[in-house]
Amino acid sequence: MSSIPWQYLKPRLYRRAVEAKVERWARKRQGTDRPVTELHSRRVYILPTAIGLVFALMAFTMLLGSMNYNNNLSFALTFLLTGLGFVSMHQCQRNLVRLELSFAGVDPVFAGQVAEFRIAITNHSKNRRPHLQIYAGGVTSNIADLAPGESRIFHLEIPTQQRGYVRLDRFGIRTLFPFELFRAWAWLHMDLQGIVYPRPADYALAPPPTQTAHGHRQHDARGEEDFAGLRKFQVGDSPRHVAWKAYARSGDLLSKQFSGADTSSQWFDFEGIDEDDVEQRLSILTRWIIDADQTQRDYGLRLPGQEFPPAHGEAHRHKALGSLAFFSGLPAPAEERAA
Amino acid sequence: MSKRAGTDGSLLASLPWTLAALAFSVLPHVQYLPFWATFVFLTCSAWRWQVERKRWRLPPAWLRIALSLTCFIGVLASYESVSGVGPGSALLTVMAALKLLETKQRRDQFVLLFISIFLIMSSLLREQFLWSLPYLVAGVLFTMTAWLRMSTSSQVSIVDSFKTGARLIAYAAPLTVAMWIFFPRISTPFWAVPIDTSSASSGLSDQMSPGDISSLSMSNAVAFRVKFEGTVPPPHQRYWRGLVLYRFNGRTWSGNEPSLGSGARSEVDYLGDPLRYQVTMEPTQQHWVIALDIPYEWDLDHTFMGPQHQLASVQPIDQRVAYTVVSHTGFRLNSKLPEFARSWYTRLPENGNRRTLALSRQMRDDAPDEEAFITDVLQKFNNEEFFYTLEPPALGRDPVDSFLFDTRRGFCEHYASAFAVMMRAVGIPSRVVLGYQGGEMNPMGDYMIVRQADAHAWTEVWLAGRGWYRIDPTAAVAPERIESGRSAAMFDGIAASWGFTAPSEFLYQLTLTWDVLNAKWNDLILGYGPENQGKFMEWLGMEEPDWRQMMLTLVAIVTILIVIISVLLMLRYRPPPKDAAAILYQKFTKKAGVPPSRGETPQAYAVRLAREQAGMAGAAASITAQYLDARYGPPDLVAIERLQVSVYDFKPRRS
Repeated sequence: MSSIPWQYLKPRLYRRAVEAKVERWARKRQGTDRPVTELHSRRVYILPTAIGLVFALMAFTMLLGSMNYNNNLSFALTFLLTGLGFVSMHQCQRNLVRLELSFAGVDPVFAGQVAEFRIAITNHSKNRRPHLQIYAGGVTSNIADLAPGESRIFHLEIPTQQRGYVRLDRFGIRTLFPFELFRAWAWLHMDLQGIVYPRPADYALAPPPTQTAHGHRQHDARGEEDFAGLRKFQVGDSPRHVAWKAYARSGDLLSKQFSGADTSSQWFDFEGIDEDDVEQRLSILTRWIIDADQTQRDYGLRLPGQEFPPAHGEAHRHKALGSLAFFSGLPAPAEERAA
Repeated sequence: MSKRAGTDGSLLASLPWTLAALAFSVLPHVQYLPFWATFVFLTCSAWRWQVERKRWRLPPAWLRIALSLTCFIGVLASYESVSGVGPGSALLTVMAALKLLETKQRRDQFVLLFISIFLIMSSLLREQFLWSLPYLVAGVLFTMTAWLRMSTSSQVSIVDSFKTGARLIAYAAPLTVAMWIFFPRISTPFWAVPIDTSSASSGLSDQMSPGDISSLSMSNAVAFRVKFEGTVPPPHQRYWRGLVLYRFNGRTWSGNEPSLGSGARSEVDYLGDPLRYQVTMEPTQQHWVIALDIPYEWDLDHTFMGPQHQLASVQPIDQRVAYTVVSHTGFRLNSKLPEFARSWYTRLPENGNRRTLALSRQMRDDAPDEEAFITDVLQKFNNEEFFYTLEPPALGRDPVDSFLFDTRRGFCEHYASAFAVMMRAVGIPSRVVLGYQGGEMNPMGDYMIVRQADAHAWTEVWLAGRGWYRIDPTAAVAPERIESGRSAAMFDGIAASWGFTAPSEFLYQLTLTWDVLNAKWNDLILGYGPENQGKFMEWLGMEEPDWRQMMLTLVAIVTILIVIISVLLMLRYRPPPKDAAAILYQKFTKKAGVPPSRGETPQAYAVRLAREQAGMAGAAASITAQYLDARYGPPDLVAIERLQVSVYDFKPRRS
């Protein structure tokens, strides 16, 4: 009895193998797509859905019935439905052809979060494109219609596990319009990737003590003690430093500038963490950077072969977290350090 | 205890249209459905709609199962069967109703829409009127629009959904016509399923009891249509024989079940010229096949001549049939009548209608021979106070006595019955024939219409040397009924004396026109079978094509049509043409020889052009300004013209 290799009869196995084969074939056939791609009819594939198969079965039953009763009106009904089947096949495929898909970015995320890939779809035609959806593997976007001339962003939420890159080698666009009898789809290989920062450590190991840097910093650094003048308000300036009186007078938002003063900053050192596991150390560093960033404190990061002097702001945070994301334990190449 | 959640209201947008589509498909069935089935459908629809609106819970499983069983038993009890169109459509209706009660998701509605399509199909199997075609298209439009509503976002209005549905049906229409014409038709069914057992028969009744039902059908429904090849017989020769009644029990005349009269045709001497004509008979659910007088040849399958020389089919006529018959109005039937047959045709209950029997024997004694006796009886009907009326009084225990001596009012059946009884009373073999008499020519279609109201009863008597001989006693009383026909009588003012009023001339013409349309519809659309298809293919230049050739033609034509549809769809989704200004601007950049890069604004392009080709700086600036003005400014033809002149005058000078 046990000689029958039941495991080979599982359709799921073959399905996965066939899918992989088809994917490779499609990729080879289509090549890598540019970040802005218009769908050509040659790359839009179509197959009937389960409902489509039931519909076909129904039409066949009706054909038999019409032949049996020699009833010309039920022949007409049968052929009208058959004709609608053919028409809906072409309508379904045409609903995708000549749509323009472009990559509209993905924000960096921390490992364990979902990376939200944004795909912009533009309908350049004069007619509505109903029921469009983006998908990748089991992940699907919302379903939406595109009005004539409309451009809309669809979101693909790809889960992440590890720091580094989250890749989206291929994604698809599909439609079931008009009657869900057919599914038309196209695969796109834009080789998209997003940055995944390390997973922040859950527990807050105390960060290294704050160093007060008297005279270490140049006067361009923002201090807290001596008033040095006013400048135009910039996003990120503390409300405490806004010159409200000046605002009441002139209506311009100005920030008070201080200099030569007590600039507090922290150094986060990879080597200084009492922890063996590299990933764990990176997680702790990530946690510190997040916390420091939230309180708008300056922080510096020191990795083996890499150093980011204390600063704050979005760019600094991204540089620091990015270096953690791609940290390999080896000193980074010179050019990357320069960047 | 936590309350189970009700529906989530997600079907609010699509459910009303699914319900509407279903109701539209149920509509033509309502007149045939048992009352409770319609009631169940309406109740369940209203219930389900309230459930969705008020976020109630769906009925529990046990209730649904109980309802299903009850409904199934109800259908069985109403029809005593589950096959055939009647019980089939009742089952579909209750299935739709019960499926509604368990429709939770969008996808469940697919089942409902499949049922909707099958309901449309079964209504087409039941009846195929002229309006059935528009009904079919409207039903499909309704169903497919409801189908669209299931997957459309709520921003799309119902009007747009209907437009999309109509557009797709318009694309599918040529495909439908092509498939309908070229799909090979076969003549014999695979299996026989009764079309409908519930609809009442509209043909001739199998027996006749004058005096029981005291009024005659005045139905204007068409019984059959006739197209004569050659001469049309005059009205008094238009006797369409149906069935023959020869058993009389004192009250009711009855005949045999349809049976084969072996050698019946050899008992006929055909005289005179043959008449060749084609009959298109409406379904009657009966076996009788109508023909003029005595048929000589007929081409309807499984049809034979009975012992009384009437035609009958093995199958009941449950669909419209067309057949060609050759008949003779001159004939001699059974010039010899065997003794046993003679005794059948003279049998008469002795204990009833005594006054009639006495009168007949008295009159026979006064007449020199049988033919004189017959003339005397007809004379009696003609001279004495007998009236032709469609609404005679009911008759007593001895109907012939009370008709002849008391009421003296009746229509064809009364006269035929009384006459036949009087003949039998003196030993002359006689029988009653039920059929149709008359028929009106439709001048617009050059064919004859015979209606249910033309149903008639007359007698045949057997005389030695002459055989069976037709005598119509009604003609003695109301000769105009026979001479001019019922329809002509309507306009001669005779109608009022018969008990019906004449319609206006205009309405009458309208009726005739409508009948021409119906006849054409029956002929061209409903009657498009193997024969007509063969003729049409020949007309198209295909000599006796077999089904393979036709399928190949079908595939070829459908392929061509699909390519056309595909091109139409491609055009539909092409980007709008660039406007004139954009085309001119493109010409300018081409002339300049510096392609604009992606996403570069015209201003940025002009700056770059000026930097790269200093000689064009001036032209670039002015053309760019003109372009922006023409493209984005208020609509102005002058602006476009100005741009056009500038672009044509533009001479690229490379530095």
